[in-house]
Amino acid sequence: MSDVTQRDAFFDRLYELAREDVNIVIVAADMSAPALDKFRRDLPAQFVNVGIAEQNAIVIASGLALTGKKVFAYAIAPFITLRCLEQIRVANAIMHIPITIVGMGTGLSYDSDGPTHHLIEDVAVLRAFANIEIHSITDAVMAAAYADISCTKKKANYIRLDKDFYPVIYDGGFDFSHGLARLREGKDNIIIATGPMVHVANAIAGSPGFEGLDIGVVDVFEIPINESTLLETIDGVKKIITLEEHFLPGGLGSAICEILNDNEMPVPVKRLGLDINAGYQHCYKYGGRELIRRCHGIDRRSLEQAISEYFCAQPQSVTI
Amino acid sequence: MDSLTKELERKSHHIRKAMLQMCIDAGKGHVTSCFSCVDILIALYYGNLLRCDPQNPEWPERDRFILSKGQASPALYTILADLGFYDKSELKKFNKPGGMFAVHLQKDVPGVEITAGSLGQGYGVAAGIALGARMNMELYNVYALLGDGECYEGSIWETAMFAAHNRLNNLITVVDRNYLCVTDFTENLVALEPFEDKWRSFGFNVLRVDGHSFEQLLRALEPLRSRTSDKPTVVIAETVKGQGAESLCHQPLWHGRAPSGQVADRCLAELDRRYQHV
Repeated sequence: MSDVTQRDAFFDRLYELAREDVNIVIVAADMSAPALDKFRRDLPAQFVNVGIAEQNAIVIASGLALTGKKVFAYAIAPFITLRCLEQIRVANAIMHIPITIVGMGTGLSYDSDGPTHHLIEDVAVLRAFANIEIHSITDAVMAAAYADISCTKKKANYIRLDKDFYPVIYDGGFDFSHGLARLREGKDNIIIATGPMVHVANAIAGSPGFEGLDIGVVDVFEIPINESTLLETIDGVKKIITLEEHFLPGGLGSAICEILNDNEMPVPVKRLGLDINAGYQHCYKYGGRELIRRCHGIDRRSLEQAISEYFCAQPQSVTI
Repeated sequence: MDSLTKELERKSHHIRKAMLQMCIDAGKGHVTSCFSCVDILIALYYGNLLRCDPQNPEWPERDRFILSKGQASPALYTILADLGFYDKSELKKFNKPGGMFAVHLQKDVPGVEITAGSLGQGYGVAAGIALGARMNMELYNVYALLGDGECYEGSIWETAMFAAHNRLNNLITVVDRNYLCVTDFTENLVALEPFEDKWRSFGFNVLRVDGHSFEQLLRALEPLRSRTSDKPTVVIAETVKGQGAESLCHQPLWHGRAPSGQVADRCLAELDRRYQHV
């Protein structure tokens, strides 16, 4: 288990970069973090606090970007994205102003805070916009790498940071430029996951009782998905499960199905994620993230059963 | 009337007429919104206030003009053509196949800084540019023109609070106070007054002028290059929506429309009559 969160890994690295580059600026909407405290202390001229005004954070950040700054607009994830959709659409999608939007606490990270603080629709909504890349961070190494990568982006870039501690699965120096990575080999069956669910997929695929199923695991951390690399990665696979902590319509699973369909690849796909028909009522279940996941059938035990059943079943013949 | 203001009056007649004709030909355009603010643009662009270079639209030291009320784009497009940012023949292609622009402001037109049309957003970008200019120790001014109807958007006040807190005295805000929205007068919709008090309480230096008086506009705007206050300044420019074409004035439902037929002819004649003294 990493002893730093994705957030601290990201901002620790950004701090190092900002010490060397006066054009790196953080625009925060009254958000703090241990790693941000030293940024504010040592680099006050590069830290702008707009107060609890996320929409203003986006437009101020965009104006700063027009003056040559590399700007990171940072707030609690649902508020720096969904609250600011019109600002992001006009300034960053339509006008192509490159800023990095850093959302803290995606998915069910803020498990005990209720649905206002959960973020389970953002991928569907933001991937409907042109000129924006979405990056769902998986571990602290990737988080730090994306501090570097974000400084080089010529388009808007949204970093989804999870709140919890996770094991480190990537080596330092890993090349994240392909937007996805095969973490575990598997010939016939593959789980394509994103964000925190990558860790769950990894754990299940490697656990006793599942080794015989020869399950591969792919981490997709960039949307739009790198289509050619994805097709190469899943070449020859017989069944796919997609796994995300996000409502199913429009999320990772939808994006995968669109690519398979457009490339006339008749591979069966089972999408696992949050059931939109269940609405938001489950977000009021308190007692931890795993409990909310259980309501949607994506807790560890439910997933083991679903994955086992799907991959063990005989594939149905598919014609297109 | 001194020679500069007289020249600006002549320019006002010329630009209004060209802009109106462009909108009549296209059958599109927010004519009345343009007529209320065009004298502010003329004061900036022809009154030795706004620094720009038509031969080099991306000149780094240029002043930035942010037309946040993007529906007034025909006024700006006509002025930019007149100044030589692009060929005047582009005006004939307004909203036509092969044309470079239409109803709402678009960033890729030479001399235009932002895309606008969704109200209340250009102002925040303007404040961000002003802050960036100060960080970069650049001396240019950022001029933001807002519609008064735009000031119903909460985002305007988020930015105003930010600009005042950060003492952005390189941000010069002009509000086109024409008292009209789409369906009704502002004071009937949701009252904006006391408008000056609102801006003042947000921390602004507030000036109120006749937005069709070049003398008053220049007197208010000229000293701001010297950063005469450490506060940002807002100039509330009292205007008439449709100014110059009486047939279009004081009628909410002319918002977003171009006149046609006999009304168009009458408007052109009214413009000539209104400016015959210059």
